[in-house]
Amino acid sequence: MKDINFREVAEKCTRCGYCSVCPTYRIDGWESVSPRGKLQIALEYLNENYKIDSRIVKDIFKCSVCGLCQEICPVELPLLDFWEEFRHMMNKNKLAPLSVHRKLREITFRNYNPYSGDQERRGDWADFEVRPSKTLYFAGCTASFRLQNLAKSTASVLNKLGIDFTIAGKDEYCCGSPFLRTGQRDVTEKLFEKNFRYWQRAGIERIITSCPGCYRTLSLDYPKMAEAKGYEFDIEVIHTVSILDQTGDFEKIDLKATYHDPCHLGRHMGMYEEPRNVIRKIGISFVEMERNRENALCCGAGGGLRSQFPEISFEIGRQRILEAMETGAEYLITCCPFCEYHLSKSAEKLGNKIKVVDLVEIAERLISP
Amino acid sequence: MDSLIIELSRSVERVEIHPVIRFLYSHDLLKIPKPLDWFVRRPVCVVQPKNDIEVLSVLKFCRKHKIPIVPRGAATSAYGGAVTIKPSVVVDFTRMRNVEVRKEERRVVAESGAVWLDVEKVLNSKGLALRVYPSSAPASTVGGWIAQGGYGIGSLKYGSIADNIEWLEIADFEGVRRVEGEEISNFVGLFGTTGLIIRACLKLRDNVEIRSVSVEMNFDKAIEVLEGAYHASFINSGLSRLMGLNGDVLLLSYEGEVFHEGDPELGRRVWENRFNLFKAARETEVLVTEAILPYQSSAEFYEKMKDIPMEAVFTKDGVVFLGLIPVKGYYSSALRAVKFVKVAEKFGGRSYATGLLFPHKGLADAAAVDYKRKVDPENLLNPGKALQANPISRIIRAAEMIL
Repeated sequence: MKDINFREVAEKCTRCGYCSVCPTYRIDGWESVSPRGKLQIALEYLNENYKIDSRIVKDIFKCSVCGLCQEICPVELPLLDFWEEFRHMMNKNKLAPLSVHRKLREITFRNYNPYSGDQERRGDWADFEVRPSKTLYFAGCTASFRLQNLAKSTASVLNKLGIDFTIAGKDEYCCGSPFLRTGQRDVTEKLFEKNFRYWQRAGIERIITSCPGCYRTLSLDYPKMAEAKGYEFDIEVIHTVSILDQTGDFEKIDLKATYHDPCHLGRHMGMYEEPRNVIRKIGISFVEMERNRENALCCGAGGGLRSQFPEISFEIGRQRILEAMETGAEYLITCCPFCEYHLSKSAEKLGNKIKVVDLVEIAERLISP
Repeated sequence: MDSLIIELSRSVERVEIHPVIRFLYSHDLLKIPKPLDWFVRRPVCVVQPKNDIEVLSVLKFCRKHKIPIVPRGAATSAYGGAVTIKPSVVVDFTRMRNVEVRKEERRVVAESGAVWLDVEKVLNSKGLALRVYPSSAPASTVGGWIAQGGYGIGSLKYGSIADNIEWLEIADFEGVRRVEGEEISNFVGLFGTTGLIIRACLKLRDNVEIRSVSVEMNFDKAIEVLEGAYHASFINSGLSRLMGLNGDVLLLSYEGEVFHEGDPELGRRVWENRFNLFKAARETEVLVTEAILPYQSSAEFYEKMKDIPMEAVFTKDGVVFLGLIPVKGYYSSALRAVKFVKVAEKFGGRSYATGLLFPHKGLADAAAVDYKRKVDPENLLNPGKALQANPISRIIRAAEMIL
C-alpha cells in the first residue's frame, strides 16, 4: 500500500486546471482524461455518486504516469502515487486490467517478461564470460529482448571502466514496473520475490541498471515491498548514467544532439544533470529542446499507454520527435531503452530525420579503457 | 433525447453524453457546497467545436430546441460562469486554439480556447509579448478570461483585458460578426450571456525582458512607489507565509530598466511564482474572494481586511484585492468571502466579476442589458449568469443583507 490518503488528495485539488498540460489530455481533449477530471471522478467514485463503467476506466488509464501533472500542481499533490493507487483500486474492484494490460499480465506470469521472450535465453545477449560478483548488471526486459545492443554496450562500458560485475541471465526477471504503473501490484510482488531471492542467494550488494523504469522500481518500490514483507533490503541501486558522470575519460565526438529526459529518470528520480554532464564531457554540441528537465514532454510509451492506447502514445512520440527536430540536432539522445525504442519508432514514422540513441551506446565507443 | 443528440452529432463531430463526463462539465473551479449543489443541473451534452461552422451549428440546434448554452474555456474562474444551472449544451472551446501572429501590426489573433501561456510562448518566439494576461495563464483560455473580464499581469501599465482588445469575433444566433470599439463592452465580463466569443485580436508589446525587485514595505507606502512599473502586486504576510515567503512583500516589475531599489533575487522568485497563488492551498483548503477598489480608499480597506491572506494587484484603474480565506468551517468562510466584497463596496469598491455568484451587483450597463434582450430574446445564452439572478445568487444576496 502507498502511504497517501487517497480521499484527502482528491479533495485537496483546487481545480485550477494547471494539470491541463497533461500530454494525453491535450490529445484526447475530454475532462475525464485530464488529471483534474480524474481526481473528481475518484472522489465521486469514493462517495458512490457515480459508477465507473468501461469507458471511464479506459479514460483513467489514458495516462503515461509521466508525472508532469505532479510537477506542475501548485498544491503539490502526490499525483504519481495517486494514479497508481487509483489504478490499483480499479484492478481490485475488477474494473481493470484493460484488455492489453491483462494480456501482458498473462504473458509475464508465463514468461517473466512482457515481451514473450524465452526466459531461458534472457542472458543470450552476453558475449562475455559471466563470473560471480557482488555487483549485478540488471539489463531489464527491453534491453534483454528488444535492444540487446544496449545491454552489450552497458556491459562493455562497465568492463572498460574496470567494474567487476555479473549478470543474472535466466535468473533476472522483469522488475514489474509496467505492472506497478498499471495498478497490478500482485504481478510485481511475485516478480520482486523471484528477483530478491536470487539476489540474496547470489549475495548481491549493488545493482547497476541502464533502464530508468527498473531503476525507479528497484530503488523506490522494492525497498517498500521488502519492508512490507519484513525483508531487509540492503542493496545499492545505480543507474548507468551516474557511473558515466562520475568516472571515465572520453574521446571527443563531433555531433549535434539534443537530450530527452526519460520520465522515470527525471521527474520520478530527479536525475537531470548527470546525463547532461556526460553529454558535455564527450564534446557533443548540445542543444536543449524547448521542454526539458522537469518540464520535459514524455515519450508517450510509459504507464501502459503504448500497449493499450498506441494512437495516443505515438502522437505524443511524434510531438516529441518534432520538438527534437526543431533544435536542428542530428541525434536525439536518451537514457532509457523504452524511450529509445518508442522514439525510434516515432522517428521512423516521420522519415528518420533524427537518429535516436542511448547515451550509453555513444559513451561506449568513446570511453578510454 | 437520443434523437436530439443524433441530430446534433450530424453537424458537430465531438459530442459527449456520458453521465460522468456531463457531471465533470457541470462545474468549474468554484466549489459549490452540497446543499447548493442541488441547484446545479447536469448538461444535456458537451460539445467541443473545432471551427466557426460547428459553433454556428450548435447555436442553431439550441435555438431550434430551446436548449440553453453554457460556454466554457478552461473552467478556471471562481465565479461559476461555466456551472450549468439548467439542462444545457456545454460548448467547450478548448479544441479551438489556433494562434495567428500579425507581427507587422503587433497584434495576435487567438481563438477562444487558446491557453494564455501558450499564446505568450508563441509570441515570445517572435519577439513579441502579451500586454496583459491573467494570473491563471498556465490554464485559462483567451475566451474564458475575456468573458469574465478583469485585470492581470501587466494591468498597471496596460489596463484591463478590455483595454487591450482590438476586436472580437462573436457567434450568436444570427451568425459570426466582428465587434470593435465601444461595442466590445457588450461582451467583456458578461460570461457569454450576449454571444459566444470565438476569436480575439489582442494588442501586444515588444518582448522586452521583465525585471523585478521585491521590497519589504507596508501597503500604504507601496501605493507611492508604483511609478514606471509594468506590473506590481503586494502580498501580505498572511499569504506570504502560505506561499513560503516572509512578511509583507511588494513586487515591482519593469519592462527593462528598474526604477526602484529592492531585492532582485527575491523579485525574480516572486515574479516566477506569479501564477502560483494556489500554493496557498497546500496546507489547507482556501476560498477565493476578490474585489476592486479605487486607490484612494484601498489602504483603508486593506487595513480593515488585512487579517485575511491577501494579494493586491495594482492596476491602471484601481487595486484588485484577492483574498484567500482558509476554510475552517465552509459556511463561516463563505460568509467571510461575501463580507470581503461587502466591505469593499462600503469603501467605494465593487465585486471583481459577476458570473453565477454576483449577477445582482449590476456591473453591466443598461446598454448591455438591452443588447442581451435584442440578441437573445429566448434567454438561451448562459442564462442566470452576469445579468440575471439565479437561486444561488439569491441566497448570496440574502446573506449580504444579514452581514
